[in-house]
Amino acid sequence: MSETLRFVSDDLQLMALGFMALVYILRIRWLLKFKASGDRQARSENRSASSFKGVVYSWANVAMPWSMESTRHMSFFYIQFVVFHVAVAANIGMSFVIPYAPGLMKPVIVVRLLQILFAAACAIGCYRMYRRLSNPAMRLISTPDDFFSLALLTLWLFASLFAAPNRPDLGEGPLMVYFIMTAFFLVYVPFSKISHYLYYPFTRFYFGRTMGHRGIYPIKRVPQTKNAAVKG
Amino acid sequence: MAVSARSHKAEKFVERLRKKLNRQMVGSLAGCVHCGMCTNSCHYVLANPDDPTYAPAYKADQIRKIFKRNIDWTGRIFPWWVHAEDIRTDEDLAALKDIVFGKCTNCRRCSLNCPMGVDFATLNRMARGLLVSVGVMPEGVAVVSKDQWEVGNQMGVLPQDYLETLEWLSDELETEFKDTAARIPIDKMDANIVYAINPREIKYDPRTITDAARIFYIAGENWTMPSEGWDMTNFGLFSGDDELGGAVAQRVYEKVIELRGEKLVLSECGHGYRSTRCEGPNWLGYGVPFVIESSVLTMLRYIKEGRIRVDKEKNRATVTFHDSCNNARSCGFYEEPRELLNLLVTDFREMYPNRAENFCCTGGGGAMSMSEYTPQRLKSAIIKADQLKATGAKTVVTSCHNCVDGLTDVIRHYKLGMKVTQLVNLTANALVIPERVVVPVEVQIPFVTMPLQGFKILVVDDEPDILTFLAAVLEDQGATVIQAADGEQALALTIQEKPDLVTLDLSMPGRNGGYVFEEIRNNPEIASTKVCIITGKPELRRLIYERPVTPPDGYLDKPINEESLLTNVRMILELKHPHGHA
Repeated sequence: MSETLRFVSDDLQLMALGFMALVYILRIRWLLKFKASGDRQARSENRSASSFKGVVYSWANVAMPWSMESTRHMSFFYIQFVVFHVAVAANIGMSFVIPYAPGLMKPVIVVRLLQILFAAACAIGCYRMYRRLSNPAMRLISTPDDFFSLALLTLWLFASLFAAPNRPDLGEGPLMVYFIMTAFFLVYVPFSKISHYLYYPFTRFYFGRTMGHRGIYPIKRVPQTKNAAVKG
Repeated sequence: MAVSARSHKAEKFVERLRKKLNRQMVGSLAGCVHCGMCTNSCHYVLANPDDPTYAPAYKADQIRKIFKRNIDWTGRIFPWWVHAEDIRTDEDLAALKDIVFGKCTNCRRCSLNCPMGVDFATLNRMARGLLVSVGVMPEGVAVVSKDQWEVGNQMGVLPQDYLETLEWLSDELETEFKDTAARIPIDKMDANIVYAINPREIKYDPRTITDAARIFYIAGENWTMPSEGWDMTNFGLFSGDDELGGAVAQRVYEKVIELRGEKLVLSECGHGYRSTRCEGPNWLGYGVPFVIESSVLTMLRYIKEGRIRVDKEKNRATVTFHDSCNNARSCGFYEEPRELLNLLVTDFREMYPNRAENFCCTGGGGAMSMSEYTPQRLKSAIIKADQLKATGAKTVVTSCHNCVDGLTDVIRHYKLGMKVTQLVNLTANALVIPERVVVPVEVQIPFVTMPLQGFKILVVDDEPDILTFLAAVLEDQGATVIQAADGEQALALTIQEKPDLVTLDLSMPGRNGGYVFEEIRNNPEIASTKVCIITGKPELRRLIYERPVTPPDGYLDKPINEESLLTNVRMILELKHPHGHA
């Protein structure tokens, strides 16, 4: 492994991570500067209502596609969401495994599974780009950051396809590209929509706390029977 | 980066936006990923598939872009990158008004469908409030808000009209039951229930008041309607004006406290229920010392307890139930109406989707008062019309006056031939009238000496005459009374003597009552001591309730009379009747 590759896979990553952590700390400080409002009303008349249950339900919402109509009706979209996010998480993990625990990537099956995952996520990224461009409502709400973030992630996933075998002996190009893109990704993330996961615990916490206290969460749903069919 | 010059109103809008933001709102503003999952949850979108400007994320972005341009880092440095944009002119404000008032009913359906937990409805309401604060709002909103500020109710019903209506309703009731006790009590003290209504009932639908009165009468309830503070609706919820919201809620709460009512029961109104039960304490910054419940729950309890009997054979039409957004999606109130409905009708058919996932009646969020947006409201109502039609029901029941009007409009516009009614009407119709109705009578409870025996009470006041009066009255009832003439002494005696109750004067030289109260609540050793605030300046009460501690257990206005003092002390010490412990 060349000194340059060692630098980009190790020192550069640590610098980028440090930078990202610093900006995240500042971001969270900024968010916490705003006062959180509470719910002073008496608890819901529904005896089982509880803020705690609401928060747990709200946080777990991401893993319960049946809990929201939007994910129930768009199950293909939900599957895409899962694959894409799992691939991104795996990709981040890979950026640590390659320099610090390369042995984990030795079994071919691991590499192949990761490559399948990255390829699927990459295809999803392309589809999502198409959706953003072709759907008028999506096009209207999309910002340059939305397009760039999606393109960046898709390209990064594409690069990771070739980096996954971790074979610098066959040429350092794929790993170089992968790690440089990872570093850029880490630096860019705090300023982009990709940092949504930073806000997720907060938005879901407060929303769940209120919805739980008021007895709306967990959502109670009665499946539709034959006597009525509703479009929409 | 310098921000371009703004109009005076736009300047104020941005200035107030900064002050209005809380952590929940900032999270919702910063957390949207523009995934589009919310889009199909909105009835405006579903009814207007070719107009992407109805998408909830787009509508929220009209607020978000101002936030990003002025408050968020990225938007301030690279505005074009994240579509951050300032609001500069009065025309910009007017355009925003058409979106937040005309293209959204604040139904919160999109909020429930957002994977990120972005609360669009809260953002929309905030934007409404900011616009209202600079005088930009639909005319209907201005008119109704003005009525609620000035006349005390949102339909401008004058006090004499209100009282006269109740009077003739009482006369009718008396004739119907041939019983002089069958009347609507006004301002009755110490009633179990204080019943607050929607002014629409006085103006357009007095039969709902008669129906409720019939139910209370047959149940033998000790109830009353207040002469003031009777409007439980609250246009502050729709206009986003928290000041109005707080003032209206406070008017209702204070009347209940003045009447020493045990429970505030709200007639069927979704936004009234949400405003009075859920949001009022938030707008005011303090909780209320009495129970608030929907009349639906009251009626259900009467049936379960056997206080009224109903015959569902009297309601044989096919009915479906429409959940009000405010009841179901903002207060979790959706099972009780169904439970009641199943006791009242023979053929109930569920509407789909339902409960928290139901579609708005399309008249919510104050939309019924904004005539300039009626065409787009009725166009979007096709979703509701389809939903209603699919049930095959002849009658739609709802627990909300606003929904009654909204649904009536939808039914008329789409020629559905359905009837809209409320649970109170169905309950009254299904009532089995007993041959002899037992009404509550004033029972003279034999006086038992020493009802406060065993209680230690600390009375605090800087006026010796009042101290003597309080001590004499309470000692006559058997209490052990300790006296303190200033704040420091009061604190020391509370710690030393651990009284069951402290009656605390607010205005005292040195450490005033407010300080003493907060010290008591903040000291874990004595924090649970019951405190009754006594003041000659009712406006100071607010200062007490705004403190970041558990509110006092009661309060009394000066001048104090013996009866109100003893009643309040008994209530606070949880003595259910005047002759012994609970």
